[in-house]
Amino acid sequence: MGTMGLALPWKARIASAPREAAAASAVTRAGDPATAGKWGTRVEGSEHLGSGPQGAAAEAATEDAALAAACRAGDLRAYERLYSLHGAKMKNLARNVLGSPVDAEDAVQETFLKVQRSIASFRGQSSFVTWTYRILINTCYDARRSRLRKKEVTTDDDSEETPRIEPRAPGAHPSLRMALECALGKLTRHQRDVFLLYEVEGFRHAEIAGMLEITEAASKNTLFQAKRNLREMLEPPRSSSAPSRA
Amino acid sequence: MNVTCKDRERIFEDGSAADWAALEAHAAACAACAEEVRAWKSLSVAAKQLQDYSPNPQLWTRIERALVEEDARKAQRAARKRWLSFFPAISVGWQAALAAAFVLILTVSVGWKLLVPVSEVDRGQHDQSLLKSAALKEVESTERAYEKAIDKLAAEAKPQLEDPATPLMANYHEKLLVLDSAINDLRAQAGLNPSNAQLRHQLLATYQEKQQTLEEVLEARK
Repeated sequence: MGTMGLALPWKARIASAPREAAAASAVTRAGDPATAGKWGTRVEGSEHLGSGPQGAAAEAATEDAALAAACRAGDLRAYERLYSLHGAKMKNLARNVLGSPVDAEDAVQETFLKVQRSIASFRGQSSFVTWTYRILINTCYDARRSRLRKKEVTTDDDSEETPRIEPRAPGAHPSLRMALECALGKLTRHQRDVFLLYEVEGFRHAEIAGMLEITEAASKNTLFQAKRNLREMLEPPRSSSAPSRA
Repeated sequence: MNVTCKDRERIFEDGSAADWAALEAHAAACAACAEEVRAWKSLSVAAKQLQDYSPNPQLWTRIERALVEEDARKAQRAARKRWLSFFPAISVGWQAALAAAFVLILTVSVGWKLLVPVSEVDRGQHDQSLLKSAALKEVESTERAYEKAIDKLAAEAKPQLEDPATPLMANYHEKLLVLDSAINDLRAQAGLNPSNAQLRHQLLATYQEKQQTLEEVLEARK
């Protein structure tokens, strides 16, 4: 399967994607440090630099609390606000976990219903948005398990837990995207989740730790493992001059 | 800060901005590290291929409808819970008593329903045979007036009847004695059961018979 990633030379693929590089820089959010150098890698300011804008963080926390309070009060506009802020991101995350846009929309809808049902039990131990994403991720895996059970009932196929990938709208590099999707399917659940949350959706490790109920260090380590595995799956055979990795 | 090729993976995993800057400075002079750093960062760039934020305007409408429906269901459940909330508050003994009372009421209701046709027939018959107090008073007053009128007729016919000139008159006399006896019996029974319409009908018929007989007596005199 890794051969899919070799359809295009790695260097050529990346070199032909200046727009993506620019987008990558743009996606890193306010509060995150800017990229470190010309490569556009995201390095988390709040975690490493300690110089993130405190005002923006406080404002975000206030809005988060207000949103939670309004949702708890049953205000439908608060749910609409939550959807307008995070709906697209939630759907994209669910799409990448489940592999199907239809299933992703179902999962997002189910997530909103679960938030409505259990908002009374939300104690504010994490941010409301983090809590919502945790529900979304669990809902996605519930949906996957349910799909697997159905599959087991109907067929005797192997029950490998990989997302069923359906075609997307054509992008700049469909072959790269497909190769990445297939490679992601081979990662462990945690590696895939952390990679998607960090690299695709742009969350910080602190947020990911809250969503997946792991430590920040575990989140960083899992991302490192995920990227190393992905690189091995996607990278073309390297020259012998490259130094061996630990 | 000086970094070497050995620091690369540590920086990949948890490097600060300063670490990355130092690694890139090192990579400028180290082809192997330059390739590794480039490939590592390429994954982040490639990940953006998985971003698809194309909106679906119908999705919020769908979610909103589901939320409203769920809210309505929640309100219904709450209302039902409120209505039944008194039940757990009372003791088990009272709950059992209430349940028994309910069963009893149900049994009586069903029994009543089953017996209704028979009762209806009975009630219908009683309605026909019993006179209500107002109707009874009216009947009694009419009877008294009718009796007075017949007594006047009898007074007129008395001379012929007490001294019958013909066998026919003697028969009329005997018949009137029988009718008077019948009237006395019926009036005695009606006194015991004044609301019995059947008795009243028989009494009326007997009076009519007496009236007709007296008229015939008076006709025979002419």
